[in-house]
Amino acid sequence: MSAQVSKLILMAGLIIVVAVLVLTRRIWGTALTHGLPSIWRIAKMTVAEARRKRVLQAVVVLVILILTSLTFFTYLNPEEQARMIIDSGLTTIAAFGMLLAIFIAAFMIPHEIEARTLYPILAKPVRRAEFLLGKYLGALIILGVVVAIMTVVLVGVLLLQDSMVEDLANSKFDPNLLPVLFAAAMSYCALAVLTALIMLISSVASTTMTVIGAVLLWVVGSMQSMLLDLSTKVTGATKVLTLAFFYAVPPLQNFDFRMEVSNHIGVSMPAAVFALERGLLYAIVALVVAAIFFDSRQV
Amino acid sequence: METVLQIDGLTKIYHSLFTPAGVKAVDNLTLAIRPGETYSMVGPNGSGKTTTLKMVLGLIFPTSGTISIFGKDISDLSVRERIGFLPEDAYLYDVFTGEELLDFYAGLFGYPRKRRKALVDELLTLVGMQANRKVPFRECSKGMRQRLALAQALVNDPEVLILDEPTSGLDPAGRHQMTRLILELKRRGKTILLCSHFLAEVEEVCDRVGILYRGALVGEGTLAELAGEPTETVVATAGLESAAAARIAQMPQVLNVEDGAVRLSKATGDQLWSVLQAVHDGGGRILEVAKPRLSLQEVFVRTIGEVQE
Amino acid sequence: MRHRRRNFGFVVLFALGMLLVQAPLQDAVNRARPRVFDPSRRDPLQSIASIRGPTPVLIAALGGFRTVAADLLWLKVDQLWDGGAWYLLPSVMESVVQLDPHFLLGWEVYGWHLAYNLNTESVLEVDKRSWLDQGLQVLERAVTLNPDSWQMAFELGWTCFDRAHDMPRAAEYLYRASKLPDARSFAARLYYKTYERTLNFEKLWPALEYAQSRYKDEPQHQKLVKSSIEWWKTHQFDPQWHRYEIVRENSARQQRAVRFYLYPGNPYWNVCDRCGLPTKKGQPTCGACGKPFPPTSPKPV
Repeated sequence: MSAQVSKLILMAGLIIVVAVLVLTRRIWGTALTHGLPSIWRIAKMTVAEARRKRVLQAVVVLVILILTSLTFFTYLNPEEQARMIIDSGLTTIAAFGMLLAIFIAAFMIPHEIEARTLYPILAKPVRRAEFLLGKYLGALIILGVVVAIMTVVLVGVLLLQDSMVEDLANSKFDPNLLPVLFAAAMSYCALAVLTALIMLISSVASTTMTVIGAVLLWVVGSMQSMLLDLSTKVTGATKVLTLAFFYAVPPLQNFDFRMEVSNHIGVSMPAAVFALERGLLYAIVALVVAAIFFDSRQV
Repeated sequence: METVLQIDGLTKIYHSLFTPAGVKAVDNLTLAIRPGETYSMVGPNGSGKTTTLKMVLGLIFPTSGTISIFGKDISDLSVRERIGFLPEDAYLYDVFTGEELLDFYAGLFGYPRKRRKALVDELLTLVGMQANRKVPFRECSKGMRQRLALAQALVNDPEVLILDEPTSGLDPAGRHQMTRLILELKRRGKTILLCSHFLAEVEEVCDRVGILYRGALVGEGTLAELAGEPTETVVATAGLESAAAARIAQMPQVLNVEDGAVRLSKATGDQLWSVLQAVHDGGGRILEVAKPRLSLQEVFVRTIGEVQE
Repeated sequence: MRHRRRNFGFVVLFALGMLLVQAPLQDAVNRARPRVFDPSRRDPLQSIASIRGPTPVLIAALGGFRTVAADLLWLKVDQLWDGGAWYLLPSVMESVVQLDPHFLLGWEVYGWHLAYNLNTESVLEVDKRSWLDQGLQVLERAVTLNPDSWQMAFELGWTCFDRAHDMPRAAEYLYRASKLPDARSFAARLYYKTYERTLNFEKLWPALEYAQSRYKDEPQHQKLVKSSIEWWKTHQFDPQWHRYEIVRENSARQQRAVRFYLYPGNPYWNVCDRCGLPTKKGQPTCGACGKPFPPTSPKPV
């Protein structure tokens, strides 16, 4: 895309976005200007509720066990061991993070409607958008804590293995800690975007449909580059459609730096910054649309 | 006259794939509730009571018609600061204790910590849950849950209370306690909109009743207005001989003689006097002469029956 | 109804607007991460259909866990290696590198296994050549997919130098490797060695200067390069036979180097069958004893 065309598209998009935001400010605007205390309260309640759920605790314990079992690759050379632990560890964090994001977020709104725990809250001076944002913030906090725990365990495993493994002349164990922390943080950002999308689906669908939709979105979002590759192999309307899909699917692969980190390739900071910007915009779209849909939903 | 809650021409039609024409859950409902009044909506299952309440609270949206509380739409947050809602079969967050739940709901009104603490203590005392304040909601009995649910509805000391089946699922002792609480709230001047199947309790607490059937308001008024003037007279007797009872049963305007009670319908004074004499002559003792009003149950059954015809 | 149609319209417009705003951002990400988002950087042989592995591996591959799928198959490679199943390894290794084209060790072992192990194991010359060619192709793909990796360029250069004895090609890749960031100094040294082997002085001197200009903070490297420069300054114009005598006395490795120059089919020298001494190709007679060379020279390997 040439720079001028890019600029035109950007301007057109900004105009449409600002216009819609202004027209729908009743739904979401006052939530941000006056509803922050309610949002925070609901977030705290969400976190406290999750903390007392045994399922979550069991999942965290399971993940810790899986991560500590990564030390069993002792028959490989140090370089291969480091790659295995980093790769498997980051993938465990990404996979379990994804599962948790789905089960936390997908059950939030539909479950609250089905269990009618939503009714007493909506009868209070709480806007629906505030409730939605509060639940989202709560989910982010829960995921952040869980990802942090998993990352700390992974770093511990790497440091432990580094202290135990003897480097060979042509192979050394490089724990690559800072990039590992970076990749885990990026995984968390991907989860934040995914959670926003799940909130969007759950604002209109039942729990089952939300779970199915979330899994599909995660799979498609993790395969962005395949869509781009496909677009080079087709022509005409199919190419346009494929490219449209590429730009529309959740940008989860933008946050996937596992390949670079496990292969000890340098991480591109501009790529990370652009990925964060895009992810933030995508999450904002999802949440604003969710607020609009939820505002019209009959509970 | 000033109204707290005004509903005009409210209609709700549910459309689905299987019923494209739609199912009318509420049909052109109009009612007004005055300040300090206790108003009850009664009706068979599916008559639109809960649907109406949900529309009042903005949980679902009407197909047509208007609802205003304190002259404003429910979407205005200032309205919600003055109302409290107890949903039917209220499920609150079951991992929290009663204390934590009330603290959370109080927090949604922006009350500072000190005020919340005092409020929680006061409400738990009011609903009799002080001793069980640390019990998680999921371990509470049905009665305890309903009381906590009522407490959360009172957290902002609302002017208007909307109660949906507050005694549903409770045992007789629980129902009695809940009724006492509602009466206390009434005494404090709250405006109460109540939906209930337990007509005896409705009769006890309500000023006015609205009878709903198939989404439409088929009867409305005070109990006296709905029951109308009493037309029956009951003479309670003791020691009446059976032969005498049989003779009395044949007398004009006598409906029946059962278990010593003689029931007359629209009897004049002379006809009543004749019956009393016949009882005396038949060896019976007159215990009481009364003109009972129809109970709400009877009014309800009569009204629904008339509509069905 | 609560403005359902209107809200739906807002949603569509908003999503469209945001998509337009995000497109340039995604393009920026694509440019910043060409390894992931540049279709022209894909292996032309890459095909999801050619990935061989058990179902969990394939599911992992499709689910965005390609690197983990590659790791699982790498464990399989390790298992097959220990079991001696050398001829099963290429297909599994191919799957590994297609799943993770940036797994450098995978490419290295894959290319080495074909060019060295299977090449050595084979009996027939044509099979040996085939395995060697396949190994070189694999390493070329590795270099194409990892153009920033000095290890891949070095690996290809070394295999050309040591196994294929293709010095010009080895020189090209070793030079490329030495220019890349983090390249080790031995890449630069091996680069000039390719010209030493072919006695291409025209290119050897610039190569030595180049090696000397790099790695100034590595005294060992500087020492080795300096000693090469000194040696060639002294011996560049020695008669060939004298140079060989000196070299032959010095070390077994250098003897091998000398023998390389003298093996039949050597592209640069004709060896006289009377006195056994070499003369540069193009000369009709032996430089030492004057015996004429046969009209057709052996084909270079």
